[in-house]
Amino acid sequence: MAKLVLNCTVNGEPAEVLVQPWDTLLDALRERMGLTGPKEGCGTGDCGACTVHLDGKPIASCLLLAMQARGHVVLTIEGLGRPGALHPLQDAFVRHGVPQCGFCIPGVLMAAAALLTENPHPTEEEIRYGIAGSLCRCTGYTKMLAAITETAGAAAGRRS
Amino acid sequence: MSTVMKTTRDVKGIGLSIPRPDGPEKVTGQVQYVADLSPRGLLHAKLLRSPHAHARILRIDVSRARALPGVRAVLTAADIPELKRKAPTRAHAVLAIDRVVFAGQPVAAVAADEPAIAEEALDLIDVQYEVLPVSADPLEAMKPGAPPVADAGTEADTSEAQAHGSVAGVTTEAKPAKAVNISQQARIQRGDVAKGFAESDVVIEKTYRVPMVHQGYLEPHAVLAQWDTTGFLTLWSSTQGSFNTRSEVADVLELSENRIKVIPMECGGGFGGKIRALCEPITAILARATGRPVRYVMTRREELEAGMPAPQVIIRLKTGVKRDGTLMAIEGEAVLESGAFSGAVLAVSGVFLASLYLWPSFDVKGFEVLTHKPSIAAYRAPVAPQTIFAIDSQMEQLAKAIGVDPVEFRLRHLQREGDKMANGQPWLSNGGAEVLTRLAEHPLWKKRAEWKASSPKGRLRGTGLSLGGWLGGLQPTGATVRLNPDGSVQVLTGQVDIAGTNIALAQIAATAYGIDVDKVRITTGDTDVAPMTGLSAGSKTIYTVGVAVMEAAKDARNQTLEIAAKELEASVHDLEIDNEKVVVRGVPDKGITLAQIGKKGNLYMSKVQPVLGVSHPAFSQQAPAFCAQLAKIEIDPETGEVTLHDFVVVQDVGKAINPLAIEGQMQGGAVQSLGMALTEALVYDDKARLTNPSLLDYRKLTSADLPNIETIIVEKPSPHGPFGARGVGEPPIVPAPAAIANAIEDATGVRLTELPLTSERIALAIASAT
Repeated sequence: MAKLVLNCTVNGEPAEVLVQPWDTLLDALRERMGLTGPKEGCGTGDCGACTVHLDGKPIASCLLLAMQARGHVVLTIEGLGRPGALHPLQDAFVRHGVPQCGFCIPGVLMAAAALLTENPHPTEEEIRYGIAGSLCRCTGYTKMLAAITETAGAAAGRRS
Repeated sequence: MSTVMKTTRDVKGIGLSIPRPDGPEKVTGQVQYVADLSPRGLLHAKLLRSPHAHARILRIDVSRARALPGVRAVLTAADIPELKRKAPTRAHAVLAIDRVVFAGQPVAAVAADEPAIAEEALDLIDVQYEVLPVSADPLEAMKPGAPPVADAGTEADTSEAQAHGSVAGVTTEAKPAKAVNISQQARIQRGDVAKGFAESDVVIEKTYRVPMVHQGYLEPHAVLAQWDTTGFLTLWSSTQGSFNTRSEVADVLELSENRIKVIPMECGGGFGGKIRALCEPITAILARATGRPVRYVMTRREELEAGMPAPQVIIRLKTGVKRDGTLMAIEGEAVLESGAFSGAVLAVSGVFLASLYLWPSFDVKGFEVLTHKPSIAAYRAPVAPQTIFAIDSQMEQLAKAIGVDPVEFRLRHLQREGDKMANGQPWLSNGGAEVLTRLAEHPLWKKRAEWKASSPKGRLRGTGLSLGGWLGGLQPTGATVRLNPDGSVQVLTGQVDIAGTNIALAQIAATAYGIDVDKVRITTGDTDVAPMTGLSAGSKTIYTVGVAVMEAAKDARNQTLEIAAKELEASVHDLEIDNEKVVVRGVPDKGITLAQIGKKGNLYMSKVQPVLGVSHPAFSQQAPAFCAQLAKIEIDPETGEVTLHDFVVVQDVGKAINPLAIEGQMQGGAVQSLGMALTEALVYDDKARLTNPSLLDYRKLTSADLPNIETIIVEKPSPHGPFGARGVGEPPIVPAPAAIANAIEDATGVRLTELPLTSERIALAIASAT
């Protein structure tokens, strides 16, 4: 079968890549665009490691066909921040010692970033449910909660 | 070995909560795992796996698969000359020969240009099976006449027990005895248990069951293999021990170890499941067959169906006590279901059952039983959570039956340093009593009666605690410490950092050398360049590699001071390192910078030796490490739903090298322990096929299921660890199942003995008790 042309915006830049009709968005990002930040932990939408933003909303990129992203805006962990210019959530995750093995972290951060965009003052329970789609096996989530809570509080402080 | 280094000021080193330096790479998605590697010419591997747990392979036709465009190799056992019948370990059973012994066992392997092509090729392989009767239940499999799992004459594999170095002195007989599926058995006895029970006022007998559970690392097994034209193999692996992987692959492929290089990539979680070479051999063979780099990444379904989970453990215990609280006797047996290949650690169970508490008489048997399921491996403190679930539940019930305080009862009978373990060895220095005492002082424990009394209408509240631990692992290791020409320090080990250990090792080097940790870089080398080192397992990385790093740093410091002594014409004994400069004590102007010394070791025509500190120790003394946990819960008796309100972890770490990293270990271990307690089980049908091969149905705890995990670090220095440190990783996974079962009994009066403690089990138990 012939490959298809996928045009979309990825991390603020226009992207044009050839994909297979059966490629998922995660395949396209990882294998066709070299954006290996999003991870495949299950391939069935259960673990959250592949979470990216599509038009600002968190989605499991392993469940979306790549061509369904045509014309849409995709943000991956690589676009959230970079070493030296970290997003406040990324900075808080580092300082709080959140990452252990690190495999779930890109997905957790994308879920948390979407949560804080939608709800800048989440309660603890809202944070717990906001990242509940991301499984983590190393941290017990406690330090994640602290880092997200601190970031939300800091953002609130800046606005007031 | 726990020496305090002399420096004129405290360097930034041990004891500080320093975030790991690779944090920014991890939070930006820059860290490279195996699946992120795509070398030129990469092929993708897929394995065809048996749908049957036990079957004879009558015929395999791969011709249609081989003809598919884009397919570069299709292999069966017949194509691999090294493969042996009677595979001694799972690693040797690369592809099934004639017979499959668990559902999910690889039967054929494909390498293709794209993963989708490889998958399509699997569909084109035609295998004819003759389905055979299965042994799906370990207790049934022990009976005479049960369908046999192993080929006759296969030896038991005790290397897992050796790798964990956990228990010496328990005799494990590795012989397939009368019953065909018993692959190992052991028995420990002391005193007269019959007399003990006769003299007891209360005898309690219960059977505890813990199902197979998966380690649950988020990154599935992954490996990339590539051969060069001289027949040298390079493996990029997600492994907990690169040297162990190299040895296993060399053994399976009948290659010299110096023909293999293993590059340990970032390991996306292991917890014991990434010790054995599960995927490396077949990936290497496909790379050899195609002459191309081949990458194999397991799917989650493959992980759950055909990974290396923890054994099912069934423990029957009979315990007797006098009304005055005197322990009298313990008798019982532990059955460890090992799946299709041997490899369980029997001795840990025996030692904890018979000698965590002081029983005047004991008689405990252990059996490793083979079944037609995927073979098991280590899972963080292998078999300790399952064993502590049984013995701690039993202790709690004995205390309740005679009406004594359950904490005091445990403390009264807990074996202390010097007491004799069931294997005859003495208990070594440990903080078991200290962590339990500390937890019992916690307000949540002191106010447990108020919590119970505060139950709102239609809810039941309770509190429970438990004590468990790990005996500690040992393995020889090595490290080097260099002084760079700019005065910074460089540490090299071969130790895979699966738990944030590299920052702690850097802190040890900093303190031992006398320089801030910011100036220390630590690298994990591959098997070609790094000093030989052991597994990242057994809670022994800091305990053993920490010693190597500390001694190598001291060696480097001594060399540095000797060079400085010559340059400054002073005695070594008058020198100290202060602010990256070697100075003469009391003469602050007289000094030479570390950078000047480092440069002299690297100058053309220089006569000054470069500083290279080396240490390569072996060890003989373990450091047991204990953890106590408390759960404050609320139950809906109608539905059985458990809500966790608070959870407290108290752990003895000897010396907290990096409290931030230690807290992370304690919290993560506790949540794995809670998952085992509450939700996790690999569920098999009567044909030994997994019924829940997805993360939707294999239920791990999420952030929404949990409260904050409070951590309290206790420091009772170990005699031999670096600066008194003990192992940290394993103890926190041990106590939660018993703590939750004890809390449920406190809330409802019902005692549950089978994990996981699901809502359904709790609701049914409450209903049948009323």
